[in-house]
Amino acid sequence: MNSNVWILTFADAFSIATTLILATLGAILTERSGVINLGVEGILLMGAVTAFLVGDGTGNLWLALVLAVLVGVAMSAVHAVLAITLRANQIVAGLALVIFGNGLSQFIGKPVEGKTRPVSIEPLNLGPLSDIPVIGPIVFGHDIFTYLTWAGALVCSLYLNRTRPGLVLRATGDAPATVDAQGVSVARVRFVHTIIGGALMGLAGGWFMLARGTAWSQAATTNGIGWIALSLVVFAAWRPLRAIAGAVLFGFTLQVPFTLQGQQINILPPEIVQMLPYLATLFVLVMLSTPRARKLLGAPKMLGQPFVRDER
Amino acid sequence: MIIGNVRIELEPRLSSPKWLYAAVPVGSLLFAFIVGGVFLALTGHSPIGTFSLLIDRGYTSTKGITNTLGTATPLICTGLAAAFAFRMNLFNIGEEGQMYLGMIGSAWAGIAIAGHLPGFAAVPVTLLFGALTGALWVLVPALLRAKLGTSEIVSSLLLNYVALNLVNYFIFGSRGFFRDPTTSFPQGRLIEESARLSSFGTTRTYPTVIIAVLLAIGLYWFMKRSNYGYETAVFADSPNTARYAGMSATRLTLSVLLFSGALAGLAGAMYVVGPAGKVDPGLLQIGLGYAGIVVAALARYNFVAVVLTAILFAGLREGGASLQISSNPVPISIAVVLQGAVLLFALGGEVFRRNRLRIRRVEQGVKAA
Repeated sequence: MNSNVWILTFADAFSIATTLILATLGAILTERSGVINLGVEGILLMGAVTAFLVGDGTGNLWLALVLAVLVGVAMSAVHAVLAITLRANQIVAGLALVIFGNGLSQFIGKPVEGKTRPVSIEPLNLGPLSDIPVIGPIVFGHDIFTYLTWAGALVCSLYLNRTRPGLVLRATGDAPATVDAQGVSVARVRFVHTIIGGALMGLAGGWFMLARGTAWSQAATTNGIGWIALSLVVFAAWRPLRAIAGAVLFGFTLQVPFTLQGQQINILPPEIVQMLPYLATLFVLVMLSTPRARKLLGAPKMLGQPFVRDER
Repeated sequence: MIIGNVRIELEPRLSSPKWLYAAVPVGSLLFAFIVGGVFLALTGHSPIGTFSLLIDRGYTSTKGITNTLGTATPLICTGLAAAFAFRMNLFNIGEEGQMYLGMIGSAWAGIAIAGHLPGFAAVPVTLLFGALTGALWVLVPALLRAKLGTSEIVSSLLLNYVALNLVNYFIFGSRGFFRDPTTSFPQGRLIEESARLSSFGTTRTYPTVIIAVLLAIGLYWFMKRSNYGYETAVFADSPNTARYAGMSATRLTLSVLLFSGALAGLAGAMYVVGPAGKVDPGLLQIGLGYAGIVVAALARYNFVAVVLTAILFAGLREGGASLQISSNPVPISIAVVLQGAVLLFALGGEVFRRNRLRIRRVEQGVKAA
């Protein structure tokens, strides 16, 4: 078999990782504040369809992405109101977002179903860097968002670990009562980060559509990437930099079925190969569940717990 | 929360007035229809015209309501599956995949062993196998949750995608046991005639609807009266209390999740003994497993209420499907939009049932919480 194919597969893995990293960073910021937003898949779909429709209508790539981000903001704001202000069950609220986003993206995407993507995010031309064998196509063959995303993960990591607001954020997820006693509004911290998280998820969906999607079709667009991102949060132990490594790994498992199919390698039927990313994710979750791994992980302690000040 | 000089807060109600229990779902439906109406209007459809057609085709016409009851049958089961797990704070969201496996398991029994059974046993055994395979599909997430404490949410969901590909493999990807060997067209092999039920008259309602309703009533009664029901209720309320009282968390978690999977599997089995008669990839298109979660949440995890919300949702689906074939076709996904919106509003509304909204003026200069 051609070794070029595997270089391209790795390049694609890095590319898909962009969506995964963006969505995972969004989920990490949300969950670090103590809010769990399971609506990732719904937000990705809505971001994707919005970017497609706006791109189709205006031909403006940037406008398409900005609106995808805004849709992410709007949907996560709904989640924030339900989860934080109204203290509704966060699990069910997130699922409702998935179902709502699933239906609405199909509904508003119906007129453009099967149409090819109107505008595209093109890879950067990095000149001689892209010509380096092996590393060139894998690392230097991407668009600006891929590199911004890597930088974004670094910024997130510094923010969480080296800044005061980052400390407050971590404390809000672990010990909201203490944060509250310091006179900081727990609700505000959670609101802000849930919404920033949603913005990143919206961008993840929009980018995925315009950089990797060929045509809009709801069934084939995100295909569970949102759920994989949620597993990735656990895999990355709620740490932004680890999300990059995990995303590339998961991106690889998502890409391998296509490579095998493209190469007509029929060691396994395509339907079985399609299961592999999900089985691999499940396997990783199992590995992370051992008591030893759990100790190292350190999930936010009050994840999914609404904060009510004890006044009586 | 303070906006300007007004302070808004939620104050728990000691008891909720009776009318609020009905007002929340009805209000949620109304608001959902408004949201749906906005999107319909934006896409050039008449909201009133679309909704009156939807109501006619989903509920009020004879054909509509019998179609609806047919669709509601498996939906009641997935709704019960979700309610059974969610009320114990075990968030099994893999009903979709467990239902597919129920379809596979019951089709296997219907093909392989139904012919060797006396006539009266064929249908029950086929249904039972569906329930068993459904339970089997949740075994790994259940064990992980019970033994290691891994969140069952993501693990149960990931298996939905595996199950989906498994059904596709059996029908499209291979010429194995489940595929009809007599045609080149990819479709499922029919189960034995003795393992199938015929519908009432010319309708699309099958006798399984009676089983589903009886199951809901039975579960309601059992969970209210039995020791087991009491234990799960204590555990849901306070896992610590349950532990001190000597109840085994592992046993309760495992049993609840497995039974939930069995109920979802039963949904797939009812589809097989009823309308499908085979492993039918058509089931993959309608999302009855995911809808079951919405149905359960809307019913506030009350088993009897699940029956009503399932019929309501099935009607949205049937009505929504018929909208596709009008002069100005409306995509069927409007039904899913409505489902999602109903749930979002119900979640919000639920808070107003449990709490009273207080709006007070605050004195200037006084820093209130």
